[in-house]
Amino acid sequence: MSPLLSVVASLALWVGSALLVASVTIVGPRRLYALWDDLRDRLWEIRKSLAALVVVLIASAIGRGSLQTVSELFGLQLTWAIYALEGNFVAWVQATFGSPELTVYFASVYVYGYVFLLSFPFLAYLALPRTTTVKRLVVAYALNYAIGLALYTVVFAYGPRNVMPDLVTSLLFTHNPEFMALTGEINEPTNVFPSLHTSLSVTVGTFAVLTRREYPLWTPVAAWLATSVVIATMYLGIHWLTDVIAGTGLALGAVYLSYRVVDEDETDGTDEPGVDDAGGGADGAVDEVDAGSEAVGE
Amino acid sequence: MTRQASRRGVLAGVGIAALSAGCLGRTRNIAGRGRSSQLTLEINAPPADRDPNAIRIARHLAENLEAVGIEARINTLGHTDLRRKVLINHNFDVYVGQFREAEPFDPDAMYGFTHSQFVAESGWQNPFGFADINGVDERLASQRRLDGTERREAVAELQRDLGDLQPFTVVAFPDPLTAVREDRFENWTNRQPLSVGGLLGLERADAAAGAGSETESEEGTADGNESDGNESDGNETDDGLIDDNPLADDDGEAGDAATLRLVTTDERITQNWNPIAAEYRRYGTFTSLLYDRLVLVDDGEVIPWLAADWEPVGDAGVEISLRETDWHDGEPVTAADVEFTYEFLQDTSMGTAESAIPTPTFRGRVSAVESATAIDEATVRLTFDGVNEPVGVRALQVPILPKHVWEERTGMATIAGLEFDAETTEAVVTNNEDPVGSGPLRFVEAAPEESVAFERNAGHFVVRTAEESGSDSDASDPLAGVPERFRGKPAFDRLEIEVMGSDVAAVQAVGDGRADATVSNLGPDSVPRIGREADARLVTGQSGGFYHVGYNTRRAPLSNPRFRTVLASLIDKRTLVDTAFDGYADPAASPLAATPEWVPTDLLWEGGETDPLHPFVGEPGSLDVETARDRLREAGYRFDEDGRLLASGT
Repeated sequence: MSPLLSVVASLALWVGSALLVASVTIVGPRRLYALWDDLRDRLWEIRKSLAALVVVLIASAIGRGSLQTVSELFGLQLTWAIYALEGNFVAWVQATFGSPELTVYFASVYVYGYVFLLSFPFLAYLALPRTTTVKRLVVAYALNYAIGLALYTVVFAYGPRNVMPDLVTSLLFTHNPEFMALTGEINEPTNVFPSLHTSLSVTVGTFAVLTRREYPLWTPVAAWLATSVVIATMYLGIHWLTDVIAGTGLALGAVYLSYRVVDEDETDGTDEPGVDDAGGGADGAVDEVDAGSEAVGE
Repeated sequence: MTRQASRRGVLAGVGIAALSAGCLGRTRNIAGRGRSSQLTLEINAPPADRDPNAIRIARHLAENLEAVGIEARINTLGHTDLRRKVLINHNFDVYVGQFREAEPFDPDAMYGFTHSQFVAESGWQNPFGFADINGVDERLASQRRLDGTERREAVAELQRDLGDLQPFTVVAFPDPLTAVREDRFENWTNRQPLSVGGLLGLERADAAAGAGSETESEEGTADGNESDGNESDGNETDDGLIDDNPLADDDGEAGDAATLRLVTTDERITQNWNPIAAEYRRYGTFTSLLYDRLVLVDDGEVIPWLAADWEPVGDAGVEISLRETDWHDGEPVTAADVEFTYEFLQDTSMGTAESAIPTPTFRGRVSAVESATAIDEATVRLTFDGVNEPVGVRALQVPILPKHVWEERTGMATIAGLEFDAETTEAVVTNNEDPVGSGPLRFVEAAPEESVAFERNAGHFVVRTAEESGSDSDASDPLAGVPERFRGKPAFDRLEIEVMGSDVAAVQAVGDGRADATVSNLGPDSVPRIGREADARLVTGQSGGFYHVGYNTRRAPLSNPRFRTVLASLIDKRTLVDTAFDGYADPAASPLAATPEWVPTDLLWEGGETDPLHPFVGEPGSLDVETARDRLREAGYRFDEDGRLLASGT
């Protein structure tokens, strides 16, 4: 089996099992049954947010290559600036905390934990009687990707493992070179600023805190996992501290915007798009959601 | 290069105060002077994923620069971007890179690299903008004409001049490490495993297709032929494969067994197959398999390749008779193609541009050829510019291009019909998709940045003629001069190169049996892995691709040779060899160190610890900052109270 297939297969297996266990314990059978009965309606309700996310993902998949070329030719070459800003912080993290056990832990969190962290809330919030939260989550994902892609294009920078291999070991790929087959499919090595692993994890973590009354069990789990992923990006030598801080900022911004875009007042079960007309406007993707929902909503 | 503080801001503030104080003249004298600020140097190098060694050299230099008070910025760039920046645009301070010769080379390789006649050209010609008219230029010219001890002396003087002036600092000659597995292909030489000769010399392993190879006895692959017992049965299969060669492609199983799979971290061969593109070629090994050269040099042996034979004509000419062979598109290779190639490499616009637009590679080689004239279909006469034999042989090693393809590419390069740059022809910038060469490999397909596939060219003269004549032919050997190890080759039907994310992933692919060998450089993280993989083995050889730190001598203070020699003494080559190369390299002072017969004893790195030219300032592994600063002070440079080296405010 090719390394890519085997990684994807094991990813599907592990994340699938984790989702099963988490759904039963955190979401609970009652809500799961309700979700099953109502699945089509709920998906229909959140179709616009989903469509926005799908559009962003497709644009990213198609346009990534050309945007990468644009970035190579015209992007700001800022590797040196990031290094000048934070110096050997990542090297210090590795030198201080590095141990084989932690490497195994952070490597699995970075790959398996991350995929679980991103997929579970979608399921959990979809199981809520009201679809506002899941809409916000999906919109926040889309915003993360869209803004992240724009920043990747503007900033051309390599991560610490590529710049100071004498101090920072590329722990993930040295110990699990097969993971490279997977990440290579998704990402370019110059896409380090901001860290999307950080921004999406912090996004999920923030939502987990905001929805702690619905899923009190999920909040500590998400917080733990999100923190682990954030540390993993640096511990594994993939991202700079600067990327992580920018990723966190991006996450908070995306959550804020998603609350502006998806209105709280929405009543469940109706076809009302519930999009705040005044919201957003700062970003193309937000405009897209706005414009799209207005057109359909009227 | 220097960080400019805003002078306007200073002036605005100072101006008002000065006006009121009524000493405008004096203020003008002070504020009108450019202010000094710390010197900043940008060091360009490929990222670790692409080249694990270069970035370590860059880091080492940056660290020592910072220590003596020069701000160093490391700029990581992919191979293509780096080459574009350094070789094409000359828009750099310092770069770390490898010389473009895969194997130890003749001293004349320095001609294109350092002669001042090329300062205005882009490509591998003198990227430093270096000019030493009475020294280096003079030696370069005389070593071309002289023979014997006289040439040796000129070459020795050349190395001393280059050593004193340091347009670039030689760091080390890396061992060309390759992880290989031998269950499918064997005869990986410990010489140049991945050179043209190395790849053509490979043999199918017995285990792979149950096939013994015809020439294994000659080559004496001493290791790994234990299973000679099934020889007869093996030969049967092998003959079958060769006889129904056109059908072999259809047979999935056989095709797979006969596929040589290589892995690399260098994606360029999946994007561009232009043999003259300076940004995309590393050593040009694979384009040399696509495009035949007149002669092939393998381990110092000059092998008549596309040229069947040559005879001297007059004082400075040779008449070359070509082998009968076809381009990959079926057109015959003729003397007109050779004539065209040499003219075209001198001026890729073929006289249509205002001034000649020469090729960005092979300039040093073709500059030795005065003219090329087709005498008849299969004979071409080359007139040399009064050069000695080794330089003439180098001039015969350029890719011969099909006239009918490349004469279409002599126009100015355009983007959407608009001329972008009057100095560039289509030929220089084309990716040359579907390359039409005459070489033993032909292009099949590619997925950019992922993989590329080539197949064996069954019509190539080494294959065709080897089969036609058979072993018992009594007629004159049509492959005269071609060693047995290349006849009927390559041993693989298909060559696939896959791009991997890093050297570690590449070694892993060989260990897992997904690839037969690694192509790109291996760093200290990946080399130890080879030993841990049961089926992988480390082979190495001798490289000509020395790592060096190149300086843009167009820019102050890099224009000052005194400054450059201080930088050279900040590089601890011995320690770098141990840390950045895991010991798999030889530190060197001369760019010709791979051919020690050319290096005068005063420039040899006598196995000792110190550089014979510009010894490292300090003990191995620790820089003596004060001495280094003193050297800079002696050279006329100044420091501020914080120990920062000041650049004049220009």
